[in-house]
Order: sequence, then structure tokens, then C-alpha cells
Amino acid sequence: MTHAGRMAVTGCSLRTPLGDDAATVLRRLLAGERAAAPNAHFDASTYACRLAATIPSAPRPTKHRKFVKRMGLFGMEVGAEALARSGAPAKGARLGLFCGYGGLRAHWDDLMPVLERQTGDERATGAWGQGFSLLHPFWMLFHLSNNAHALLSIDLGAKGDGTTTAGSNAGAQALQAAIVALATDRVDAALVFAYDSLVEPETLLSLGTSGAATAAATPAAIVAPYDERAAGIVPGEAAAAVVLERPEDAGERAISFVSAAATADGAVDFPSPRALASLASALSADDTIVDGAALASPTRDAAERAALAGVLGPSATLLALTASTGHLGGATAVVQAILLAEALRAGALPPIAGLDRPAVGPLRPLVRAEETRARSALGLSAGMPGLAGAVRVEVP
Amino acid sequence: MGARRAVITGVGAVSAFGVGYDALANGLAAGKSAVGPIRSFDARTFPTRVAGEVPLDKTGASFLEKHRGMLLHVGEATAWEDAGLLRDRKVCFGLVAAAEAWRHARCGGAERKASLSIGLGLEQAFLEDLAEQLDGDEIRIGAGDLAGPEGVRFRSRVDLTAEKIRAVIGLSGRVAVHVSACAAGGMAVAHAASWIERGAADVVLCGAADSMVNPLGIGGMSRLGAPSPRAEPSACRPFDRRRDGLVVGEGAAMFVVEEESRARARGAEIFAVIAGHATTQDAYRATAPRPDGSRALAAMERAVRRANLRPADVGYVNAHGTGTQLNDIAEAKAIRALFGDVPTSSIKGAVGHLMAAAGAIELAACLLAFTRDLLPGTAHFEEPDPECPIHVIGPRPLAKRVDYVLSNSFGFGGQNVSVLLGRPR
Repeated sequence: MTHAGRMAVTGCSLRTPLGDDAATVLRRLLAGERAAAPNAHFDASTYACRLAATIPSAPRPTKHRKFVKRMGLFGMEVGAEALARSGAPAKGARLGLFCGYGGLRAHWDDLMPVLERQTGDERATGAWGQGFSLLHPFWMLFHLSNNAHALLSIDLGAKGDGTTTAGSNAGAQALQAAIVALATDRVDAALVFAYDSLVEPETLLSLGTSGAATAAATPAAIVAPYDERAAGIVPGEAAAAVVLERPEDAGERAISFVSAAATADGAVDFPSPRALASLASALSADDTIVDGAALASPTRDAAERAALAGVLGPSATLLALTASTGHLGGATAVVQAILLAEALRAGALPPIAGLDRPAVGPLRPLVRAEETRARSALGLSAGMPGLAGAVRVEVP
Repeated sequence: MGARRAVITGVGAVSAFGVGYDALANGLAAGKSAVGPIRSFDARTFPTRVAGEVPLDKTGASFLEKHRGMLLHVGEATAWEDAGLLRDRKVCFGLVAAAEAWRHARCGGAERKASLSIGLGLEQAFLEDLAEQLDGDEIRIGAGDLAGPEGVRFRSRVDLTAEKIRAVIGLSGRVAVHVSACAAGGMAVAHAASWIERGAADVVLCGAADSMVNPLGIGGMSRLGAPSPRAEPSACRPFDRRRDGLVVGEGAAMFVVEEESRARARGAEIFAVIAGHATTQDAYRATAPRPDGSRALAAMERAVRRANLRPADVGYVNAHGTGTQLNDIAEAKAIRALFGDVPTSSIKGAVGHLMAAAGAIELAACLLAFTRDLLPGTAHFEEPDPECPIHVIGPRPLAKRVDYVLSNSFGFGGQNVSVLLGRPR
């Protein structure tokens, strides 16, 4: 049984803390590796959350550095790579571009020329002459939420439909929008790219003080999601892209099939298990494998498992890719679309890294890698405020 | 079974004309301009000193309480204010416009499963927050004294407006947050219509909110060179030969969009049909539109085709019309090529460029064509530009009955959206 809204994936690319190609990442996932390490981006020694999973590489040199910063550049890189690998014949007005963008991150460093001269000027009467006039003319363009989208559309000549969506389920939103554009014949190929980093000072601060992120001092001390002692996520980052085409157009080029859904339930923090189960129900077609939201909280994990059991049955296999990669925010759904397909093709399911003492409950959290003959799997993601995403992946 | 159609049954707006849709409609119907000197901060030293600013000094709990019409719990708005969540003016504007649209459409418990599709502008940073974190020549954000009550970013994250609207009205449907810069508002409405047409939703609260009338917004835009250098209320003159840039505006417009048969069954008043919509991309340059306007034209053409109409059926075009040299020439070429001499105007001279909310406020303005048989004027348009060879409606609105109107929004880097509205039958 297949899902009606599914489209073929004909190309993909990603940047993750565990590597830059799906085969390498899968190998490390199967080995139970975890990317978490002391924060490589900045000194987090005073933070409640001091560990992070970061992409080790740097974006390639590009003229776009004047408009776009690190994660956006990664997004543009994977987008171009995915399209090149797809062999999609669509060009120009028949090529759509859909971006999932986790959320704006303020670029404090760029504001330094403005701020450092304002001291003692409470009404900011000298704000222009003493500060803003020193800003780089393109300072605002760094802030624009659609800058990577705009520049990638130019690089690729993508003139068809396109939109940029935001939020911690942005990748799922972008996949969904692309699938609709294909289903309604507005484009013949849709490049979907998503990028996000939770390894930012303000984000880490909030996740750490709320207890959502791990307070472990060392990677070895991290407790995995779905463990009875689970104690918070590892903030991570990723960029990922897929090219979608209608199955009949993709033909033999199809490397997998994907459908997607996104929702929100009004929660101030993470979405309810009911929202996740609802998405799973909307996409599921007798699936028995699910990559869970993996929020690494005994209460939330238990509630998620109970809710999903009602949709998938109590013995469904439970994965947690983010136990290895770190939580990937708005990029999660697109990363799942790539890595779950890679695992299904290889016939091997990765264990939940570091899972020693699975909490008692429905579903079957995978402690060790195992072989599978399944051809489909679900991936769920959850972020604040109350945003949930889901993908269903199927391999030929 | 006939095709599902999306109709507008409620509208709310906050603009430089004031709070409420009537303020916007009456201001435009009177041919007024609401652009004036910036009052919410001291902009005397900035090159840009005028804006389409919502006429209030401060957004906050009292503003929400006054205009609520929504289910705020006792003390809720005050708690948000105390947490610093209401300083970002677009949060308040979005909430108030959403509440007005919800009330206007006479929505109630039966509509709580509605979805939300919203266009939002940049996350707002506050100088005072940053100053607290300034330590010598470094910004320090961390634990202890450097933390702030909830962290700096989370007081104004990009989707805060969506979260609050959803929570206050109690919506339980899906959510899409559009951040395609100046095209975001139009895209949010188009997305809502798409949900309705596909059966993915029966009711959608949609629209956009934005505010860049603050030191960072005005300062950043000034450095970019987009605003008119003239610090006078007539600074923005779309399609006028003397035009030299935009004026920043702020505000919100929200709509209740629902499936037509459902709206009729519950006796809702229908203000417009969303007959067509389309998006395209320029794929040209980051900071300039495609000079021949060909991709803007493609968006308009596709919207018309999707509505099963001919270009001649469209009686009015509400242009993106920023008042910048490059945009207006390219857009005029596209309009001329597709629609010939169709009456066209831009309301940006009257209310400013609402950035992410521009498409939404301009669709709200388009409703005048159906509710009052008035096509909004182009404030400060006096001298036609031979390079913009279209029929530009002058500062006064044009009294004319038309059946279809089209609104354009073009975002940074060439993201284009056209939305076509039809007169309800």
C-alpha cells in the first residue's frame, strides 16, 4: 500500500554532524556513533547545555558570503548538489524551489559597530551617526529569511513555484508544499532544501535553562532518548536537500518515494503526542518502523510511544536518528527523508545510540542494529512552539 | 460535485490609517495618505525619517485589551508584556487584525479547527536587550546574569506572532509560516486558498503582520538604500516620474478564508472569491527585479489562467508598486504586456511598504472594489513616467465596478506571487 501524496526522490544531498554523504552517515549510525561533543562553535562552559552536535566542515568559498551566512550557504550547497545528482530534466519555469528555514538567528556580531558607540545615549539620538551608518550596506540582507532561497533560485535558474517556510517543522512544510506543486502540475521537479542550527547562543540558552537540552558534562554521560533516565536532547544542525518528481516522470531514476505532513497544536513548548500520532496516522500505510521525535524526556517519550502504538501497533520498531546526529530543528524532515531511505535500501536499521536501559512501554526501541526487509518507514519531528512534522519514506 | 472554492468572509487590518479595517478602507476611499514623521523612536539623525507608522506610541497589554475581541485570559496580556513578548509591534498588530477578522466573519466554536497561514517579517532584535549583553567589545549571552528572563531571541522569534494568534483564538488546525520577505503575505493567502481547494482545510485564518519601524529596521533599510531619501510624507510616489524609493510601513491584515459552500451554508457574508493565485521566481539578481518583468508577468498570467479567466476579465491591478526605479518599470512592463490599459494603483504611497505584510494589506485594500465599487488610488502620483506606460490611477480612488482584481507581491531575490480576487455572486 502506498500513500496518495507521495512523490519520487531523484536526488539528494546533506551536511550533518556525522558526515556529508548518506552512506557515510548510515555507516556511523549503524555503528551507534554519536556526534555530540563539547560545543565547537563558541565557549559554552557557562551554559547549562555545553554539548552540541555540529557540522565539522565549512561551507565552500563562494561569492554569496556577502549575503548569506554559514547555514544558508550549506543549504545552497546541498540544494545545488541534489539537483545535479537527480538528472531531473525540468528547468526554468518547470523547476520549483521550496525552502524550509528553521528560524532567524540574530547576527549579533554584525551589530557591534552600532552598539559599541551607543553607551550613554539613552534616547539613541546619535544612533545613526554613531552606529547605523557604519553598518555594511548588506547587513539587512544577512537577516532576510529567504536570502538563501533567492540566491539559489538565481544560481539554478529555478523560475517555477517557490516559497520559504519557517519554524521547527519547516522542512516538512517545504516538502508538503513541493508535493502539492507537483501534484497540481505546476512544476515538473521541485527542489526542497532545509537548514537549521540549534547551536546558537540564544537557542542553547533557552533549551538549556528549560531543561529540554542535555546538561551532561561529557558525551559519554549523555543518556539516550527512550532510555528510562533520558535527560534532554543534544542540539544539532544540518542542511539537506531532495529533488522530488512525479513517480511517472522519475521512472528508473527514483531512489525513494516520500510523502509529508506538518501541523501545530498550539503548545508553547513541544507538540503533544496526540499531534505526532495524528501525523503518523495521516501518512502511515501499514508501516512498522518509525523514527521518533526522541525528545529525551521520560514523560514525553512514554507519551509519544503510547500515542504511536495506537497508530502503528505496540510492536512497531522505534528508531531515534537524532540520538546520533543531534536534534536538527527545521532540517529534520528532509534529513529523515534521506537517511531512512538509505537505511531501507541497505536493509539495516540503526540502533538508538547510547540506549542502555530502554524505558518500559509499547513500541520496540532499537538497542542494536538489525537487518530489515521493510520497504517503508515513518519519520517524526517535534519542535517549539507546538510544531510537528512527519515524512513517510518508501524505497522501490 | 463542483470544485472547491475559497472565499473571504472576514477581514481585519492594522495600518498607518489606524486600527481596524474600516480605518484602512475609509482612508483609501478618501484618497488620503497616512505616511508621516516617525514617532515611535527618535529618528531625527536617520536619513529616513518618515514611515507609514501605525498611530500609537506603544504596543502592549493595554493595546491588546482595548482591541481584543478575543479570548484573552485575565492577566494574560500583562504577563506577555512583562515577559517582553509584546514589544515587537507585529505581534500585537497580528493579534488585533486576527481578532477583527475572526469577529467580522462571525466565527465561533464551529470554526476552531481552522488552520493558520501567516506571513511574517524579520525577527525583531531590541537594542536594549543587546545593550544588556554587551561586555566590552563582545556580546555575551550565557548563563546567570547574562541570560535575561527567557533569553533574548525567544522574546521575538520569527513565529511568535503565529503562536500567539493560534493560542488566543484557540485554533487547532495546521500552521504554515511564510517568510518569503515582501511576498510572504500574498503567499500566505495563496497557500490558504490552496488548502481550501484541495480539501486540506475548510477554514483558514490567513494574512500577515510586520513592523520594521524601529531603529534596526529603518537603519538597516537606510543602509541598503531602498527608502526614498526625502523625509517628507510624499516620499513614496509609485510609478511617478520623480519616484526615488520606498517608504517603510507597518501593520497587519488578516482574513478568514473558507470553502464557499460551507460559508454559504452558515450564512456568512462573502466579500470576495479567491479565484486564482500563482507564484514564480525571477532567478535573476538578489537586489533587482528581472528588468523585462517576464516572471512577474508569468505569475499574473498563471493566476488568471488558474481562475479560468482571460486577462480582459481583470478590471484592476493592485501593483506591488514600491516607488523604486527598477521595480516600477519592470512591473509596469509586465502589466502592460498582459492587461494593456487596465486601471492600476499602488497603495504604498499611502500606507508605506509593509514588507512581509504588504501583500496582505493590499489584498485588504482590493476588497474596496467589491464592497464600495472603488479602486484605490496611488498617493502622490502626479507625473506619469513614460517608462511605466500603464493606466495609473491618480491619488483619488476611481469609482468603477469591476468583477475581478489582481494583486501582486514581489519579494527579495525575485519571489513573485499574484492573487486574483473575484466579486462574490
